[in-house]
Amino acid sequence: MDLSRVRELLESKSYDKVADICDNLMLQVASDGIAYHDDWPYSIHLLAHIYVHDINSARFLWKSIPSSVKESQPEVTAVWKIGQRLWLRDYAEVHEAIRGYEWSQDLQGLVAAFSELYTKKMFQLLLSAYSTISIQDTASFLGMNEDDATNYVLQHGWTVDPASQMFTVKKQPIVTEQKLDPSKLQRLTEYVFHLEH
Amino acid sequence: MDADDESSNPMIDEIYANGGSPEGVGGEKRSRRLIISGDQFDIEAYASLYSGRTKIARLLFIADHCGGDNSAMQLEALRMAFDEIKKGENTQLFREVVNKIGGRLGPDYTMDVAWCETVDRRAEQKKEKLDNELNAYRTNLIKESIRMGYNDFGDFYYAHGQLGEAFKSYVRTRDYCTTSKHIIHMCMSAILVSIEMGQFTHVASYVSKAEQTHEALDQITAAKLRCAAGLANLVSKKYKLAARKFLETAPELGSHYNEVIAPQDVATYGGLCALATFDRTELKAKVIDNINFRNFLELVPEVRELINDFYSSHYASCLEYLANLKANLLLDIHLHDHVETLYDQIRHKALIQYTLPFVSVDLQMMASAFKTTITGLEKELVALITDNQIQARVDSHNKILYARHADQRNATFQRVLETGRVFDRDVRSMLLRTNLIKYDYNARSLSRKL
Amino acid sequence: MDPMEALVAQIQGLSSTPGDIARLHIILKQADDSLRAESTRLSPVLGQLAPSEHSLGFLYVLDAFTSGQISKQQAETSVPIITGFINACNAEQIRLAPEKFVLVCKRLKDQVMMLEAPIRGVGPLLTAARKLQLSTEHLTPLHSDFLMLCVLAKCYKTGLSILEDDIFEVDQPRDLFLYCYYGGMICIGLKRFQKALDLLHNVVTAPMSTLNAIAVEAYKKYILVSLIHHGQWQLSTSLPKYASSVAQRSLKNFCQPYIELANSYGTEKIAELEAYVQTNTEKFENDNNLGLVKQVVLSMYKRNIQRLTQTYLTLSLQDIANTVQLNSPKEAEMHVLQMIQDGEIYATINQRDGMVRFLEDPEQYKTCEMIENIDSSIQRIMALSRKLSAMDEQISCDQLYLSKVGRERQRYDFDDFDVPTKFNI
Repeated sequence: MDLSRVRELLESKSYDKVADICDNLMLQVASDGIAYHDDWPYSIHLLAHIYVHDINSARFLWKSIPSSVKESQPEVTAVWKIGQRLWLRDYAEVHEAIRGYEWSQDLQGLVAAFSELYTKKMFQLLLSAYSTISIQDTASFLGMNEDDATNYVLQHGWTVDPASQMFTVKKQPIVTEQKLDPSKLQRLTEYVFHLEH
Repeated sequence: MDADDESSNPMIDEIYANGGSPEGVGGEKRSRRLIISGDQFDIEAYASLYSGRTKIARLLFIADHCGGDNSAMQLEALRMAFDEIKKGENTQLFREVVNKIGGRLGPDYTMDVAWCETVDRRAEQKKEKLDNELNAYRTNLIKESIRMGYNDFGDFYYAHGQLGEAFKSYVRTRDYCTTSKHIIHMCMSAILVSIEMGQFTHVASYVSKAEQTHEALDQITAAKLRCAAGLANLVSKKYKLAARKFLETAPELGSHYNEVIAPQDVATYGGLCALATFDRTELKAKVIDNINFRNFLELVPEVRELINDFYSSHYASCLEYLANLKANLLLDIHLHDHVETLYDQIRHKALIQYTLPFVSVDLQMMASAFKTTITGLEKELVALITDNQIQARVDSHNKILYARHADQRNATFQRVLETGRVFDRDVRSMLLRTNLIKYDYNARSLSRKL
Repeated sequence: MDPMEALVAQIQGLSSTPGDIARLHIILKQADDSLRAESTRLSPVLGQLAPSEHSLGFLYVLDAFTSGQISKQQAETSVPIITGFINACNAEQIRLAPEKFVLVCKRLKDQVMMLEAPIRGVGPLLTAARKLQLSTEHLTPLHSDFLMLCVLAKCYKTGLSILEDDIFEVDQPRDLFLYCYYGGMICIGLKRFQKALDLLHNVVTAPMSTLNAIAVEAYKKYILVSLIHHGQWQLSTSLPKYASSVAQRSLKNFCQPYIELANSYGTEKIAELEAYVQTNTEKFENDNNLGLVKQVVLSMYKRNIQRLTQTYLTLSLQDIANTVQLNSPKEAEMHVLQMIQDGEIYATINQRDGMVRFLEDPEQYKTCEMIENIDSSIQRIMALSRKLSAMDEQISCDQLYLSKVGRERQRYDFDDFDVPTKFNI
């Protein structure tokens, strides 16, 4: 089993590509008839799926792992715990699942990257979904304690009302560049031609 | 205190203090005018509006529906029905009314077997006589006599309560009618019997038959036909058409058709149906500015007032009039089944019309205008919005209703993309199916046939 | 072994040019029976042949080799051989004998199932299907086997890759049914409900003269997915007119519990729906649809909340909880948050006042991405439309069609001199 490609990607921190590589490699190894279950880096594979937020694939992968592996490799179960929390949308629990385990050397980089990514995503979600939110909830969603959370959001322009323990969310206007392409004219001509005939 | 007094425009919250004018049963002419009103129902005055079989039917209906605790009214109605029936020759109805009275009105109002037998015997004799006459006419082949013979038969059956036979007899005169007058007479008789039988499809067809005759109809007959048509529409729940028919009735009708309908009824039915189904322009043009109909509305000033209130957006007072009238309207034989629906429609229209001109409406103010609670009002509005009758949305936090105008441009884009997707899917499926059929496949070879 | 050696030599010799291969094919067909007779002694023969160059020959020998009953142990050796062959073989050569190729691949599928390792067959079957296809629009019998293995091995994502192709040409109707059915299952698993609906729709409306079990199962799933995705399903409008008459008449008789579920869903009352599911849990479980049914119940909460956006601008969390029959405002808040995350609703939650404010869809259809989106849709549809006209022309020239139509054709009017009364080809 040649896992060198996987290791390369991990080292270069291209985490989003790991999932596909793992999938293809697994199929190849399976079709070659090699008994791979014990040696396969399931925890990396699972976490890679979770990193790109493909919880469905993570779920199916978990279902296909033999129970002997689940018992003998507690790290795999710990990774799945993160996935499970994501599946059930226990937003605050995800942070706890990340922090509640001593990750092995191989996984630390990936776990740290995922944690950062997840915090950013949660922040985006709060930004779009709330107009006011309690300090307590913000802290639990972002996985920080209340002071850190306060500093974090204040940096992004939110205001705090200590009396009611509430944050007021500041929306960020999204500016995208609008470029016009001369080829559009060509396409419009094609459409009209098609409609005429 | 004439009901014609419309001098001042009342404020929203003031109740227009009329309709319940304290004349009561005073001058006969006056009390006749205010019969359909919010007052306690005056049976005698009501019954005097009608004649013939409908009077009896209405009295019996009132007796059945006036509610258990109102036995005084019930007995009064039954007594009057009894008297009326005894003037006629319908022993079946007589037996019915005696059963209903159940001896509660004393010995004068019990089963009079002798009278029944006399009437029945007389009927037998008359029938024989008519039969013989008809046969004689038939052999002589004199059209006019045959026609009159059948007519007499019709009248006879009608008087004795055999409505089906009566209808058949009247219809048979058709083959012997020579002038349009005859045809009209036949139609009117058929209509009368059909109304009594409750078969309003026949009513509609005979009305159109009568209206198609070559000769111009005289005012009164035309008015009668309009009423009949209106009634047919009302019963079949076509309220808008019913309203139109009633509104077209000429005031010359007067009480000429009181074997079917009283002018007060024309005003009430027409007014309520119009209110429930017309939009503002039609309401103004056909009801409020309608000079002919004004004559009818004079007879039921409360209806006139509530229509005016509705048009001038005094909804609270309008709804109050309606509430007052409700009890009495429920005793009307034709309107009984439709009161709830019409009332609901009128209320909904009021709500919708209230919100129409505004971008935002304070629910507090609206609730007081309609004399209801905010929560109740919110519920009603939500129902109307869900039904797509109001284009608005409720700000439940601040209790405000905001008008909502769909963004046409966005909606168009959405529709276009959706259409494209559906087309894509359908064409692909079609091409696939074509290929399947082309190779003449079928699924016979599949396992597990069911 | 003499005839075997001769055969091997022929295979080795005649596998280079298309002309040679054609001759080889004829020889192989004639030798088929004798090959089968020698099935037990063929493994050394296989060793002498190279799968990539002598694909056709290898195929025939392999077919004979695997034709008998195989035990689990034998399967262990057989699977790698077949796998190796599939990976190495030459596509053009094997397309000359497609039925044999399909047979061999099906045996592979059976063997990996016997070994209880369906994942071993996923990769090879994908390769095999791609090699056998004449074009990406062509459905082979291998597609459905491949998808079935994907479902069993839980390699849903891999299965999706083959579902992205549009299928227009089909060899056998049975393949289509199974392909669409398994494809539907994969899409449901990955929550691509629209695509699942399209696939299941194809099964249910395909031409069939008698009802088959696959259509019935597909119909059941179709009802459930319609409820989840569209929020409604009605018996009267479910089957379009072009569905086969036997489907229109009989399908509903076998799916009664599902139809009643849909009716219960239509009442918009959560309690009723949940009660109905409770009483019929066993039936749904037997059909393996219980998970999907649970998703249907969840979707009802979503629909009810979405309906609120049509009538309210702001609404308190307590009111939402009451209307939708959730247990607490906090639960309502979580539901709304999840729906915002999934893009199913546009709203902002105001925790201070315990209110939710519903917003309009912010899409203004003014961005470049939207233009690209619309453009690509238009291109796609234009291509389809061209295809449709091409097919129309093709059929109008088709012999069978013309002969059938020509017989019933009549002279339309005297000017139509070009139209003969009888059209016999």
